[in-house]
Amino acid sequence: MSLARRPLWVLGAAGLLVAAIETPLIATADFAPDRELWIVLNWVIGVGFVLVGIYAWMRRPENLIGALMVATGFAWFISVLGHTEPAPFFTVGALFDSLFVGVAIHLFLSFPSGRLESKLDRWLVGGVYAAVTVGFIPYIVFWDPATMGCAGCPDNVLLITADASATETAGDVLAVVGVALLLATFARLVGKWRASTALQRRAITPVYAAGGALMLLLATLLVLELAGSPHGVIEDVFYATMIPFGLVPYLFLAGLARAQMLRGGAVGELVASLGHTLAASELRDALARALRDPSLELAYWLPESEQYVDSKGRRVELPGSGSGRAASPVSLEGRPVAAIVHDPLVLDDPDLVDAVGAAAALALETGRLDAELRARVEELRESRARLLAVGLAERRRMERNLHDGAQQRLVSLALDLRLARASLREDPERAEDLLDGVGEELSRALEELRELARGLHPAVLTDRGLEQAVKTLATRAPLPVDVDTRIGEVPEAVELAAYFVVSEALTNVAKYAAANRATVRVGRDDGSVLVEVSDDGVGGADPAHGSGLRGLGDRVSALGGKLEVDSRTGTGTTVKASIPCE
Amino acid sequence: MVDNRFAMPTVLIVDDHPSFRASARRLLEEEGYEVVGEAADGTDALRAARELAPDIILLDVRLPDLDGFAVSRRITGPGCAGNLTPDVILISSREVDEWGGAATEVGARGFIPKAKLSRRTMEELLT
Repeated sequence: MSLARRPLWVLGAAGLLVAAIETPLIATADFAPDRELWIVLNWVIGVGFVLVGIYAWMRRPENLIGALMVATGFAWFISVLGHTEPAPFFTVGALFDSLFVGVAIHLFLSFPSGRLESKLDRWLVGGVYAAVTVGFIPYIVFWDPATMGCAGCPDNVLLITADASATETAGDVLAVVGVALLLATFARLVGKWRASTALQRRAITPVYAAGGALMLLLATLLVLELAGSPHGVIEDVFYATMIPFGLVPYLFLAGLARAQMLRGGAVGELVASLGHTLAASELRDALARALRDPSLELAYWLPESEQYVDSKGRRVELPGSGSGRAASPVSLEGRPVAAIVHDPLVLDDPDLVDAVGAAAALALETGRLDAELRARVEELRESRARLLAVGLAERRRMERNLHDGAQQRLVSLALDLRLARASLREDPERAEDLLDGVGEELSRALEELRELARGLHPAVLTDRGLEQAVKTLATRAPLPVDVDTRIGEVPEAVELAAYFVVSEALTNVAKYAAANRATVRVGRDDGSVLVEVSDDGVGGADPAHGSGLRGLGDRVSALGGKLEVDSRTGTGTTVKASIPCE
Repeated sequence: MVDNRFAMPTVLIVDDHPSFRASARRLLEEEGYEVVGEAADGTDALRAARELAPDIILLDVRLPDLDGFAVSRRITGPGCAGNLTPDVILISSREVDEWGGAATEVGARGFIPKAKLSRRTMEELLT
């Protein structure tokens, strides 16, 4: 905007200069009626459009409305040349007599976005520009002011041959085309107004009303001309058209002032309501009131998990383009805090969104911290529930193992022992056979009990520490495993979690990976124990499916750590756990 | 009630653990029973009960398909074994007090912990 500022002021100065130059030219044009009135109109309308246009242009450089207002002002200055004495000026003024109407129609149809939004509007504006420029050529080349009722007028320097009937025909055709274009524009303005929302109507109604009135009055004027009405009547209607037309820049300015006042009020009210602590829903309501959008929602940014959540800590996605919603990010000291999700119409006043965002940033940061806490609680609740379920399933599995394994063997042993005892005297050989069987069964029962105990808590971990326990796991694996452990003393819970990560990962390698080799690394880094188990197998493991990896993830996150699985198909699998360990 | 004065009582052993079935068969045969069949699950047990018409069925409470209570109810209920309803004895590796009086509610004669299985404990229930 700072770059554009200088040329825009030059443009403003040029507008004032043109009006200043035209003033004496109008004043001394003896042939022209109502010269004082025209001087006033020139300053009020021409200068009004240029200066207000420049203000709008500076305020919203990306919106063409300002530029179109400036262009309307200059087009007006050109048409006013028709009220000056020098013949070339007079001729140019006559040729571009209605150019300002063309630019004004472009302005109205693209208000307030600055864009012609429909094909119909673009065709309409194109037709209007053609009519008010090239459409005047057939007229001007036959038009001799002296023979057309203006004896004292300057000469038409573009006159080829004076022809009253050709002039009248060209004039009539122009008038008919003009009426059609003006009524079409009027219809479009009505249609656009009716299609607009309440929020938009507040902004567009004054300008649209002036534009609509101008279209109807100009159409009336042309119809009166076609009907050959008395000159006085036509003149009165013409001056009447100047009222809505001249009001346009001032109505626009008044609209801006009103919006600014409303904005000041809205932000002021918001700041006042932020003065005391707000609950999450109250903060949302306060922002909804300030932006006058009851559908407003808040999304808080969680930098750690890089996601947006609602005030309850549940994950939310920001609306994409074409979703009918818009999101405005809010930052505090350069850090993203939240996003205000709202109706896209709210962006018609981007300054308001910025002001509201800035005023509420601190409160939103509080809301963000609250949402972050809730998200953590939610995550904890879920992982605790999963841990509980895993624990229960584990107990069921263990009970089943005990029942089916050691317990059955011991029951059979009891029966066999009883039988051996009964046979001892009568059939010592049989008793001996039975006792041999009993010995074997006992060994098997013992091995099963050992296996079970290892599942509960690996004894090697208690006796020899994590490094040796990991090496034992590696030697028990059915494939070559390279081990690199440098870890030292760590708390028991961390040690146990790290052990189970290696154990579960190696079990998965053996079961699913079809790998030739695996590598286990356990080390420390920056206050964490890092465990990494990788293989050269088929990959494709999905931690979302399969309770083993998810159970591990829960075990690790219960200690505040993170488990990552990288297992793209064909590139092997790497399971990485990082467990905080101060 | 078993009358072993004329013939050895016949027994069907229903348990999903082969090692227990083998030990139980050895013990019972040693103690004068004729083990006429074994079944590893509830469905097999129902079929064997119909086909073999044993005098006694030793029925494990915990089976892979139906549980022992359901099997007992069907065997001792009307229409399964005709007039020759066998005596069902529920067995389990648990102790008696864990099951309470559930055995008699499902038509069984009683409950014996597996480790205490013997002719004596069986006869105590059946007399």
